[in-house]
Amino acid sequence: MPVSRTLQRRIAPNRVIPVLAGLALLVVWSLDFGTIQPNRIVPGTGHGLLSATGWFGAGAVTLVLAASMLLSVLPLGVRYVPLLGLVGLSLAMLPLLLEVFAARHLPEGAPYARSAIGAGFWCLLFLLSLVLIEILGRLRSGRGLQILLLVSIGGSWLLLLRGDGLESLSLVREFNARPDQFEQALWTHLALAFGAVAISACVAFILALKMIRSPGWQRPILGAVSFLQTIPSLALFGLLIAPLSALAAAFPFLETLGIRGIGWAPAMLALVAYSLLPMLRNTFVALTEVPDNLVDAGRGMGMNERQLFFQLKLPLALPVIIEGVRITTIQAIGLTAVAALIGAGGFGAFIFQGLGQAAMDLVLLGALPTIALALMADAVFTMLAASLRPTPATA
Amino acid sequence: MRVWLPPLVLAALLCGLSAGMPALEPFFQWVQPDKQRVIYERDSFLFLLQNHLLLVVISAAVGTIAAVAGGVFATRPSGRDFLPLVSQVASIGQTFPPVAVLALAVPVLGFGEAPILVALILYGLLPILRNTLAGLESINPAVREAGLGMGMSPFQVLLRVELPLAGRVILAGIRTSVTINIATAAIGSTIGARTLGDPVIAGLVNGNTAYVLQGAILIGLLALTIDSLFEALERTWDHRFSPQGAA
Repeated sequence: MPVSRTLQRRIAPNRVIPVLAGLALLVVWSLDFGTIQPNRIVPGTGHGLLSATGWFGAGAVTLVLAASMLLSVLPLGVRYVPLLGLVGLSLAMLPLLLEVFAARHLPEGAPYARSAIGAGFWCLLFLLSLVLIEILGRLRSGRGLQILLLVSIGGSWLLLLRGDGLESLSLVREFNARPDQFEQALWTHLALAFGAVAISACVAFILALKMIRSPGWQRPILGAVSFLQTIPSLALFGLLIAPLSALAAAFPFLETLGIRGIGWAPAMLALVAYSLLPMLRNTFVALTEVPDNLVDAGRGMGMNERQLFFQLKLPLALPVIIEGVRITTIQAIGLTAVAALIGAGGFGAFIFQGLGQAAMDLVLLGALPTIALALMADAVFTMLAASLRPTPATA
Repeated sequence: MRVWLPPLVLAALLCGLSAGMPALEPFFQWVQPDKQRVIYERDSFLFLLQNHLLLVVISAAVGTIAAVAGGVFATRPSGRDFLPLVSQVASIGQTFPPVAVLALAVPVLGFGEAPILVALILYGLLPILRNTLAGLESINPAVREAGLGMGMSPFQVLLRVELPLAGRVILAGIRTSVTINIATAAIGSTIGARTLGDPVIAGLVNGNTAYVLQGAILIGLLALTIDSLFEALERTWDHRFSPQGAA
């Protein structure tokens, strides 16, 4: 009886959420919730949850966590929908706690003073996100709900961070100090990562066709691209400097195009090299694993080779190819951050500049958008692959 | 035994180059004619190599133990409730770029070897965890029941049936994890860990291509050595277990 089984699954108490919520209670009460810094570099003084947000804030956090523990163990008929509402709303409202913290503790008349996020807040955010993932998993929610939730939580964060109440937050200060640079970094990062993915997609497609036509090429081509993948990023960036500067010195017109030992040229080359393996592997597997009987059926319908490829093989292979694009894009977004070391720009520039100046908020200003970009690329391509998957035919 | 030849040759080359880099001075002088010093001398290459390797080995050891323990827990009856969350975390976590994880460790733990070790362990854990789960989940339940039917205790079944069967997949996970960690440890020299990334970073800062080359060549060789070592390990594993594994 499928109905009673569903009911039972919902009524069964959840053991995961109490563990996560209990852990969250423990860390949020024991670690620093936030710090107040007199200026950008001087380490600040930490404040625990109670001192940072007062009885009202501390009570709200404790209440939410206790309520989610209760909701997950009490014998209830509907467990996960109220939990989803509670946890989703708390996640969306989380920056309000920082606002309360800044309002309570920021000294008057100290223009350089800033509030910074403490380990307690980060842990709370992390554990609440885990609870949300657990709830969504139990609800077997569709993609639509997940995206809606992500967009509304992200939107609420952006709105609160752009508001006046959090102007003193160190992360916001770092952003406000260089909005143009941030925008430039965003575009550079996207251009490098997606440029590399696009180029490698074309190259991988040609290589995959070559491998299918002449199987003798399979081993050498796959061997070469997996060799490239083994070389650590810093080493590959470094190894490209010498030959490219020699090239630029020999042909000055190349240098006017921006092809030099450092900058975008070696970065792009290395990114394309890294992107080849996941892209080629998926494209090759996708194109070779189209079932033979389907190809025969197509041929029987009178399709010629060109029609077979474009109307049958390619559409069937597309979801797996897109999966390759997803892996490649995530990898390229991360490696582009490393490429900042050889002067390619992007969010990595903030990370390494911040590390050099021991300005941790600048590091965050580079690291957090990089992670956000990777997560967004993951979501977009997962959705794209799912929507392109053909409805399964009955065998 | 022929499978062990590539890692041995590469390891010998790696150690030889680390020890004998000064002998290549004329070559680097030719690469970088406008610099007084062309051989990186702040630390010896052997010391950097040893430190780099130590970071990777410690993080791989701790990561493997933690990930296998976590994977075993999540697939036992008592921990089964945690399985969906653990496998979700293992896949979402790998979306995070390693550099960003490294950068996030610094505000929490400060500069030096501690943050990089924590970042390497946490990040390196994910591929091993995912493969442990995949390996244990792919075992036919009938095999487990056969073990129980032979009078083995659940612990014996885990130790003598499940882990050996999942071992090949777990080994592949460790290989992925170590490959990523060698690269991440190299970048770790930007946060104060002394690894083979040091000469590269120093060379980039001072515009000394010779330093960059020395660091890059050694990092690349280290990665190839370790990768060929895993290749040999996997071949040996297949050779020893495949006849029984088919049964």
